[in-house]
Amino acid sequence: MNRFEYLEVTTLEMAGKLAAEKGAAVRAGGVDVQDLLKEHLIEPASVVSIRNVPNLQEIKAGENISIGPRVTLAQLAADRAVASKARAIAISAGEAASPQIRNQATCAGNLLQRPRCWYFRNEELLCARKGGPECLAHDGENQYHAIFGNKNCAIVHPSNLAPALIAFDATVKTVKVGGARREISVAALFVTPETDIHKEHVLEPGEMMESIEVPAAALAGGAKSAFAVVREKQTYDWPLLCAAVKLTMDGKNIKDARIVLGAVCPVPLRRENAEKLLIGKSLDESAARVAATAAFDGATPLAQNGYKVPMGIAMLMRAILEAGGLS
Amino acid sequence: MTKKNYDREETLKLGFAGNVVEKKVKLADDQAKPWDLDTKFQYAGKHIPRFDGLAKASGRAKYSYDMNFPGMLHARIVRANIPNGKITDIDVSGAEAIPGVKATMLLKKVGDRVRFDGEGVAAVCATNLEIAEDAMRAVVVTYEKMAHAVIVDDASKDGAPIVDKGDTNKSPESVNINPREVSEDEINKRFAAADAKVEATYRTQVQTHSALETHGGVAKWDKDSSGNPTLTVWASTQGSFSVLDGLCGNLKLDRSQVEVICEYMGGGFGAKFGADQPTLVAANLAKKAGAPVKCMLNRKEEHLAGGNRPDSIHHVRAGATDGKIVVFDVTNYGTGGYTGGAGARNIMIYDMGASRKVEYAVKTNCGPATAMRAPGHPQGSFVLEQVVDELAEKLNMDPIEFRLKNDRYPMRKAQYEKAMELIDWSRRNKKGGEGALAGTGPKKRGLGVGASTWGQNGNRDGTAMAVIINADGGVEVRNGCQDIGTGTRTIIGICAAEALGCPLENMKVRLGHTRDPYGPASGGSVTAPTVTAAAKDAGHAAKLAFLDKISKKLSVDAAKLDISLGKVFVKDDPAKSWNWHDACKLLGVETVEVTKERSDNFRANFSGQVGGVQIAEVEVDTETGVVRVIKVVAVHDAGLVIDRLTFESQILGGVIQGMSFALFENRVMDRKSGKMLNNNLESYKIPGSLDMPEIVTVAFDISNGHNSAGVAGLGEPTVIPTAGAIANAIANATGVRVRSLPMTPDKVLAALAAKGGSR
Amino acid sequence: MTDSPANDEREDLQNAFSRRRFLQTLGAAAAVSAAPAIANANAKTSEAEKITIPPATPLGEVKNFGPGEVDVKLKINGIVRTLRIEPRVTLLDALRDRLDMTGAKKVCDRGGCGACTIIMNGNLMYSCMLLAVECQGAEIETIEGIAPEGEFSTVSSAFAKCDALQCGFCTPGFVMTITHHLRNEKNPTMESVKQSCRGNLCRCGTYNRIFDAALLAATGGAGLPNTTEKK
Ligand SMILES: Cc1cc2nc3c(=O)[nH]c(=O)nc-3n(C[C@H](O)[C@H](O)[C@H](O)COP(=O)(O)OP(=O)(O)OC[C@H]3O[C@@H](n4cnc5c(N)ncnc54)[C@H](O)[C@@H]3O)c2cc1C
Ligand code: FES
Ligand code: FES
Repeated sequence: MNRFEYLEVTTLEMAGKLAAEKGAAVRAGGVDVQDLLKEHLIEPASVVSIRNVPNLQEIKAGENISIGPRVTLAQLAADRAVASKARAIAISAGEAASPQIRNQATCAGNLLQRPRCWYFRNEELLCARKGGPECLAHDGENQYHAIFGNKNCAIVHPSNLAPALIAFDATVKTVKVGGARREISVAALFVTPETDIHKEHVLEPGEMMESIEVPAAALAGGAKSAFAVVREKQTYDWPLLCAAVKLTMDGKNIKDARIVLGAVCPVPLRRENAEKLLIGKSLDESAARVAATAAFDGATPLAQNGYKVPMGIAMLMRAILEAGGLS
Repeated sequence: MTKKNYDREETLKLGFAGNVVEKKVKLADDQAKPWDLDTKFQYAGKHIPRFDGLAKASGRAKYSYDMNFPGMLHARIVRANIPNGKITDIDVSGAEAIPGVKATMLLKKVGDRVRFDGEGVAAVCATNLEIAEDAMRAVVVTYEKMAHAVIVDDASKDGAPIVDKGDTNKSPESVNINPREVSEDEINKRFAAADAKVEATYRTQVQTHSALETHGGVAKWDKDSSGNPTLTVWASTQGSFSVLDGLCGNLKLDRSQVEVICEYMGGGFGAKFGADQPTLVAANLAKKAGAPVKCMLNRKEEHLAGGNRPDSIHHVRAGATDGKIVVFDVTNYGTGGYTGGAGARNIMIYDMGASRKVEYAVKTNCGPATAMRAPGHPQGSFVLEQVVDELAEKLNMDPIEFRLKNDRYPMRKAQYEKAMELIDWSRRNKKGGEGALAGTGPKKRGLGVGASTWGQNGNRDGTAMAVIINADGGVEVRNGCQDIGTGTRTIIGICAAEALGCPLENMKVRLGHTRDPYGPASGGSVTAPTVTAAAKDAGHAAKLAFLDKISKKLSVDAAKLDISLGKVFVKDDPAKSWNWHDACKLLGVETVEVTKERSDNFRANFSGQVGGVQIAEVEVDTETGVVRVIKVVAVHDAGLVIDRLTFESQILGGVIQGMSFALFENRVMDRKSGKMLNNNLESYKIPGSLDMPEIVTVAFDISNGHNSAGVAGLGEPTVIPTAGAIANAIANATGVRVRSLPMTPDKVLAALAAKGGSR
Repeated sequence: MTDSPANDEREDLQNAFSRRRFLQTLGAAAAVSAAPAIANANAKTSEAEKITIPPATPLGEVKNFGPGEVDVKLKINGIVRTLRIEPRVTLLDALRDRLDMTGAKKVCDRGGCGACTIIMNGNLMYSCMLLAVECQGAEIETIEGIAPEGEFSTVSSAFAKCDALQCGFCTPGFVMTITHHLRNEKNPTMESVKQSCRGNLCRCGTYNRIFDAALLAATGGAGLPNTTEKK
């Protein structure tokens, strides 16, 4: 880490202002910022912590669920209301990283963390995302990289939480420098390399996340959900693949479906084509297989990550059955 | 080393239950009877908590990394950020200008070659780690870059970039034919004529040691009473005396001026012999700066420059006829980094009929390989155990039955029986992928076996122990060697207490100070057999000296006294006795201090090797390719068991590291940039709690009579057979073979797909 | 960035190929992105977004530490200590290098191994991932605090008894994790213990005995060995 001044603020707006005006790095839990500082991927003159900003660490659950930006992954995973109403969200948080990280990592930080690609994370390598001429994973070691949307850059979006939130049509509320507020769907929060290869989300400098909202509509009607992960090792390993599935059932019939894949694409990837194949069907193994297979249609694997397709189909099929209570 | 006289003769009962032999051995006059099957032990063989367990589990044990001194400086090493090239300039002025920076030094000169990304070029030290890091980054090194090759395939191509010197990266081939008189023609003929044939290529990966305590040390200079410089170095090492020699050589000091201390160390696995670069940097910078210096590698440096196990590519042809292996023909090569050297051992267990082994190494622009727990063996065993299994399969034989037909070692036979019983071998799928155990769902189970062997050894010349008995009853044994976590300190204490007869709770052991008597490096699984015999001999010598001293006060002839179970007693009138504390009080103001050199090994041992058998049960998710190890039964012998607890821990550790090698670990190099991509503990994968199988350890008791304590080494053999056993279990579960390590889901899926579908 | 005179020069001397450009590109992200028509986007930003502009709220105060050394007060094992350190010093380095509390080990320094585990405000944390300056006001508990001088905690004793350690370098981290787990889990089981130490790695391979030690300690350590330490 380079030398920096450390600032503590009591409002998000102030943190945003310091970020926009001074280029300060904003620390929520600080997990990702710490890594970026240590690897010299960022060298800001100021680091601003929002740990003293009040009321950012609450989960309010009623008809809808409102999650404070500093709610930790551990808190979210352990919350009973979340677990019962939006199981996939709780599990996605509980399956991330390790207990120690989950105690520190915040929900906002999880959505806004930078990619884990080993070319990106190596200070000495200049990949496309860091201003270099090309994606180094393309002709390199790409076993953990994207199989969709990987033409210009093959990172996978690292957040566990994002696919689950998208499956529940969640939004984030933000405040910009100057006080303007907006609400963006989590689905629209992320940026593909084709849009802008240097960033992963649409927030402006200094724009701060005030809450994550899971709308009542997504929770109504006894929505059932599942979150599935496949890892190389079962302890403390990044997902090779993950998926959030949410089904609204009418008996055995599927009224509505959401399928969102993680670790396959530079952004969390909703698969509406696969959802359509489920809607109106009665849930069984073959329906699940058809949908899961469709979800991986159009994949463009690189030299070393073709395995993600069959593995992903199996994982997703199981997740669909699990969401529907059939596993 | 003093020349010893061996005139006495004793008969020892050796072997194991159901297989006992008597052998005569020659002893020195003052040597106690060696331990054998008849010995009644007071402590040895029980589950005894290690002496330093509480110190470690309370966080109070001070490792070298933990040493802090007032005014201590922190050092960092500047490393090459290219894989191959020549240094054209090194500028440390920017670093030296930073307030708080106290000294810099060059590890290379302008014009020198760097041969891997991460090679040390210069070093800096400063008042704290943060400033040292600033200074490290402020050193500017420029290079004339040269083309590089970081993987074997690239480095062995025609016209490949030259990694270091000469005109090729390949070492000359060594060809070994066994038995010697067999011709190459005969090898080919045997293969052609065999009933069952295997011809395949196997690959193993580069593994880094990844000891949790990194390499390095803390150096502190002082002056002795006559003003001469003295140096004390706290080193994270598995060879305290080799560090001592290295420091003396590097700094032109004599042994009297230097002490190396290593009371606790956080793992080595073969990578920590000798004075390493960070330790030398600490000593040199401390001299230059006039203050103590700590220089410990960080995790990335540890991966890049801390050593590794070479990879291997084996092309194998093997054949069997009538249940016997008749030919084993292998060409093996791999890379040990820029220094070359990459052996794989795979023909020590089974009778191979005729074998040919062609071997060479390929240099690459990577950090140098170092010895790693059973160097050459796990990679060779992964290949050998699969080949043997494949032959058995083709002959329609049970793989253990087939092994027993080709393995003449009696202990292993008994070990197979034990292991088969503990895992219920009868459950094994008769055909790979089909059977009750495999089941009909996507998750299939299977059983697989592997075996290990290791030489009997342990007699590092000059090893001696000091024993001090105090009037308060306390006993201390001192030796300059280190305990790398195997329990060396504890087994020394147990053996010394057993030989002396004092209560175990009165025994203390001081290790890792090189001013104490010489002790072995922790390597080659020789430490336990070396130090236990030495501790027994020294304990016995201390007993004689102690009895001699107190006999005068008791007015009893020393020869008539003995000590046992914490009591001094008159041999022909055992009712006449003194408890340990009362007897020690008789010393008054005196102490008993004895230093005794270890007696030599005997030739008349029961067996020249130690053996082991492991059986693994795995579950393969045939849809995702994920392999989980469910259970491992591991049966190993290593002579007399001194501490059953630490013995079993060694087996556990071997199995877990073997499983890690089998399924997870892999150094990933980027061919284009020549950099290691997973230089951390996040994507360099070692297993955690949820990956653990149930592990059943069996300390297979045997009296081997190899040395006066009857102890053999265990650290290395336990890690050898696991990967092969897991690979065989995967084949048994699925009907397909994964011939490349680590056996990650992508490879499992590819093997299944090649066979045609996942179910 | 830093206040050291050598800094500017240093920047210039930097082995320049990547970083400056990279930092610029990060800065460039500041350019406001219009609602993007994402190739495989999940929704269209413009539709999803509602903007409101409420009255300005007070921005509050900014507390400033550094750059350069500042006084940092840490409450560790119940005792408040004041350190003079830079804000960039991690809690782990503060403990180990400044306070000589070396029970927590530095192994990966990236939140990947658990050797540096401490308990903060009742939560298990990696001290390498925290800045010391941001831990002010928190209750920090390290392994040095789990038993009085000269005594050993039930968990430490259980580890020793079960030989749940080899080299011992991962051990303090595991002891903290298990201690925390047993405090918070009324009915610990093999499964709960395994789950609890998902964030700790051991290279020597002691896991199975750690599980045993945890379950032994959970019984209150009945049958634990005496607590005399041997060297
Ligand atoms: C070893 C390891 C393994 C991991 N494994 C996983 C895993 O399996 N799955 C997974 O999902 N994650 C994993 N993570 C990532 C981890 O979950 C994230 O780093 C963490 O969630 C980030 O949260 P934070 O609060 O610490 O973020 P910070 O580091 O504090 O912030 C991250 C980013 O978010 C911004 N930010 C934070 N809060 C706000 C806000 N309110 N408004 C605007 N901007 C904000 C920050 O400015 C910064 O740019 C792992 C991390 C490590 C180190
Ligand atoms: S040192 Fe902190 S987690 Fe590894
Ligand atoms: S005991 Fe050595 S790392 Fe765990």
